[in-house]
Amino acid sequence: MNPMIEIKNLSFAYTKDNMVVDNVNLTINKGEWVTILGHNGSGKSTLSKLMIGLLRAKTGTIKIDGLTLSEETVYDIRKKVGIVFQNPDNQFVGVTVRDDIAFGLENLQIPRETMIEKIDKYAKKVNMQEFMNKEPQQLSGGQKQRVAIAGILAMETDVIIFDEATAMLDPKGRKNIYEYMKELNREGVTIITITHDMKEAVDADRIIVLKDGRILRNDTAQNILKDQETLEQSNLELLLPLDVLYSLEKENVNHDALKEYLWQSSLKG
Amino acid sequence: MAIEFERVSHQYVGVDQKGYLAIEDIRLNIRGDGELIALIGETGSGKSTLVQHMNALLQPTQGRMNIFGIKVDNLTKKRKDVKLTPIRKQVGLVFQFPEYQLFEETVEKDIMFGPKNFGASEADAREKAREIINVVGLDESYLSRSPFNLSGGEKKRASIAGILAMEPDVLILDEPTSGLDPLGRNALLEVFNTIHETLNTTVIIITHDMNTVYEYAKRVLVMREGTLVYDGDPLKLFSKKNIDRWNLDKPEVLALAQDIENKFDIHFDTPPRNKTMLKDALKEALK
Repeated sequence: MNPMIEIKNLSFAYTKDNMVVDNVNLTINKGEWVTILGHNGSGKSTLSKLMIGLLRAKTGTIKIDGLTLSEETVYDIRKKVGIVFQNPDNQFVGVTVRDDIAFGLENLQIPRETMIEKIDKYAKKVNMQEFMNKEPQQLSGGQKQRVAIAGILAMETDVIIFDEATAMLDPKGRKNIYEYMKELNREGVTIITITHDMKEAVDADRIIVLKDGRILRNDTAQNILKDQETLEQSNLELLLPLDVLYSLEKENVNHDALKEYLWQSSLKG
Repeated sequence: MAIEFERVSHQYVGVDQKGYLAIEDIRLNIRGDGELIALIGETGSGKSTLVQHMNALLQPTQGRMNIFGIKVDNLTKKRKDVKLTPIRKQVGLVFQFPEYQLFEETVEKDIMFGPKNFGASEADAREKAREIINVVGLDESYLSRSPFNLSGGEKKRASIAGILAMEPDVLILDEPTSGLDPLGRNALLEVFNTIHETLNTTVIIITHDMNTVYEYAKRVLVMREGTLVYDGDPLKLFSKKNIDRWNLDKPEVLALAQDIENKFDIHFDTPPRNKTMLKDALKEALK
């Protein structure tokens, strides 16, 4: 296994007595899909901001693809790690869709022809090629989020963090974005998703559960999703079929076929 | 009738001077006696435009409205004798991410702002804040805290308390639970249930979460491409025909209950609306 992200003894606090990220140790491998779960305020988003150098750690180190994050390397790190945030309105910086996708590329100082090529390619990928000259106020939330993703895709980073990137979208928009994530992962991009949606966690290779800034669990998706105690501690819910299954078992209900069916459906999310 | 839409349309004029019909020919009645209504529809279907008419933030470009006895149409803005202020107090609108609108030093001051703005005395506003903070599920110790040091769910509750303190007859919330973890979401939904049951406030929730619609709503409105295509019982909404033509997600409890009925020799006499009901019904059926 080749590590893509290595986090050692990472801590961060906004105020003196309140550790938001508390001595986190975590390795994420190349091409892995990792989901970070946790209650509101568990430190999920802070951790993601630390990973791209938007916040500076109090102690500890972060290595991305062998490169240690520091003030000197932060711009090189951002060529390796991209992030999509929850609220599309907070991340639309261009005047038009084309400008917005171009924004990150402009900072990389690549030749104009290459840039135009990339913009077109990634606009097409998120199915926004017909909206290139539209302004943000003419787009729906889902469309804006797709533009934000195209901007990140155009950077061709090795890692993309989706920080509750689908929380504000309608079900159709959510499914669309989720399909992109899967496709990217198949193409070898390391994916980190931060979510409350258990159905989004089912396909992860691994789930990290954060609680009060610490890693509570680090295990396969299967093992976490069936662990009622861990989920309850983190304000999360069991997937519905599992929840029903456990309650039947508690009451000693005998119906093996039904129980097997509930178990199988929970694996599908 | 608290709010009446009489063939209301609203046309936005864009930068290119082209008109865009956001809602079209809406006929709708909202009672002010404690309904709990869910408003659903895809992004861009006109939900937000619709609710902004309910407290006259937007006015019809065609048709007319009656909001607590005040007539609102395309000429209202030009007329000096029509005061819209009473409407703003009677119909409270909580935008998405209301926590971004918190601005005072303490939660108490934030809650007091609305009532004071509508003429309440300092003492009355303070009394109101004390009363309302419990309704949203926070205790009085929160009143002296800074809104900026609260968690996401607490901030949402504090900002909703600010609107509730104005004692609206109708409370409209635009995706109030987005971004909350499941526990926070459930707690907030219970708060809305309490508001509608104990204060007799009509609550209208805009949501994409069909589980919320199925479990809590007594009435559901479906917007699609600017028109109101469904106004009725949530339990009857999720027929195969409606799911297909309106691209709806089936509520999880309903989907699982139907699967179980189809695959096993189990029948539910009343369809379970939430997971507790589903578990109980299953235990009963398998006894």
